[in-house]
Amino acid sequence: MIARDRNWLLIFAFCVALAILYPFIADGYQLTVIRDALIFGLFAASLDFFWGRTGILCFGHAAFFGIGGYIMALVTLNDAIPFASLLGVLGAIAGAALVAAIIGYFLFFGGIRGSYFTIVTLALGVICQQAAVSWSSVTGGDSGLIGIPPIEFEVAGWHVDLGQDLPSYIFVSAIVAVAVFALWSLSRGRWGTVLTAIQDNETRAAALGHNAPLRLLITFILSAAIAGLAGALYVCMAGLVAPDLSGLLLSTEVIVWVAVGGRGTLLGPVLGAIFIQRAQQTISSFNPSLWPLLLGCVFVIIVFVLPDGILSVYARLKSLFKGWRRAQ
Amino acid sequence: MPRKPCSPVCANASPARPDAMDFVVTTLLNGLTLISILMLVGLGLAISFGLMNVTNLAHGEFVTVGAFVVYFVQSIGGSFWLGLALAPIAGAVVGCVLEFAIIRHLYSRPVSTVLATWGVSLILQQGMELTFGLGAKPVTPPIEGTFDLFFTVYPAYRLILIAIAMLTLLGVILLIGRTSFGLDIRTVIQNREMAEGVGINTRRTYAIAFTFGAAIAGLAGGLVAPLAIVLPQMGVNYLANAFFVVIVGGVGSIGGLVAGSVFVGGLTSILNYQISPSLAQAAVLLAAIVAVRLRPNGLFNGASR
Repeated sequence: MIARDRNWLLIFAFCVALAILYPFIADGYQLTVIRDALIFGLFAASLDFFWGRTGILCFGHAAFFGIGGYIMALVTLNDAIPFASLLGVLGAIAGAALVAAIIGYFLFFGGIRGSYFTIVTLALGVICQQAAVSWSSVTGGDSGLIGIPPIEFEVAGWHVDLGQDLPSYIFVSAIVAVAVFALWSLSRGRWGTVLTAIQDNETRAAALGHNAPLRLLITFILSAAIAGLAGALYVCMAGLVAPDLSGLLLSTEVIVWVAVGGRGTLLGPVLGAIFIQRAQQTISSFNPSLWPLLLGCVFVIIVFVLPDGILSVYARLKSLFKGWRRAQ
Repeated sequence: MPRKPCSPVCANASPARPDAMDFVVTTLLNGLTLISILMLVGLGLAISFGLMNVTNLAHGEFVTVGAFVVYFVQSIGGSFWLGLALAPIAGAVVGCVLEFAIIRHLYSRPVSTVLATWGVSLILQQGMELTFGLGAKPVTPPIEGTFDLFFTVYPAYRLILIAIAMLTLLGVILLIGRTSFGLDIRTVIQNREMAEGVGINTRRTYAIAFTFGAAIAGLAGGLVAPLAIVLPQMGVNYLANAFFVVIVGGVGSIGGLVAGSVFVGGLTSILNYQISPSLAQAAVLLAAIVAVRLRPNGLFNGASR
């Protein structure tokens, strides 16, 4: 456990160093590309915090992303609200957490687990997207809402305006780094151990005195809150919000990011998100309708070839190298 | 990539409704149409999800394949009935290949099955879009006329649809209840190890049952094609609704399947008159979530499972 912790911290430090150095070699456009990819990376980490720790797959995580995005948009587009950016972010987090609390209460305390949970959350994504489309007086319907201002606030007389490329990149990377580190610290201690016990055998964990539904519920709420935060950040950076932000396709994509990066590593999903989005852009510029086809192939290939994600390739190579050294 | 879900069955295809009695009968028949389709789609899911514990997210694509077969046969000049006969065969072929290539390797890995079958569904959707192009595909019903029935006129094709669905369901009940293959299926479901012990080839039984479910979903797709918007992405709506049919109704009995279909289909067709179809869809799924919370074992089942 200790050695694995050290490995994780090393990789984390390496990634942070890369993120700090990146502005020196990249221009403004490249910075915004990575900034958006990082936001989706945060979203992927939020799903991994739940899926990776409990083994229960949430197939509608984009619902929380979309809820966060819509709340942020509605708050900041309303001129009457003071401290709109700050309130919007808080509202996005609270709104996503509240929905997760209600849904999670219904499901976890109702004994819904495994594939049942996956199906119900799949429907949750469909519900949110349909609601966003049909409630057009508030959500703008199919075309969504546009003109969402960038985040702007004052800290101790210091005015922060994230309309520029570099400040927004620094702000987003800092938030992602802090959030991923916080999620990791949370998930490795006693809390994570109990969740692993619940994943292995819920009846036994309950017999040992752990309130399994409550633990799952709190983990789910935290995960949804971070997803809501990611959604809020995204709509401010993109300047618009649309129904597909809570749709099925985004829900699926975030699952691919986690699966490619390595479930349960928290850092892997962030890297997976960045990596796959770059690939998506390259392929879409070549032919846009090819991407879902390739996405489907990636799913199938991962299941059969890389069940533990890309981070496991490193571990596999290492053990291969060790075996080779021993053979020498 | 925006994906626009379409409403399962067009509510506006029904004739004008002058009085209350007419309204009741029309709603009832519309509900029955939707319930029939959901029953056919849900049957395959009840087999794979409920009985084999395989979460097959590509099940909706069997419906799409069936609908596209009817469209394709019509577009090259063939009759609707030929297309409808080929739809379950096409569904069976796709289902058989899927079971053989992917699902049989993943029986012990439920989460991996979810990922892989969702991948397959994306591949099938995009494959159909690349082959047949974007946009909704027109399918004309084989019979245009209407039928006088209890104070109302109703499209004759829909009555035929309901009849075919009911006959199919009856056939399935007989197959599972009266034949030796049905006995094999029931044995494998009750206890896989024991079935293996008494010499039943469980792998083969699973494969045939899965293919069979896919064929019936293909038939459902062919039946619904003249009423629905035929799109490569149409399967998702049937998938979500059919899953709720299985979950709400409870796993393991035809009675549960019927109850689940009546719950989801009936509620959808009633709400379709009050609010917009997409909002109705959302409301039904919400109601289903609440139903699952209140009766986790299904509307019919007491303490089993």
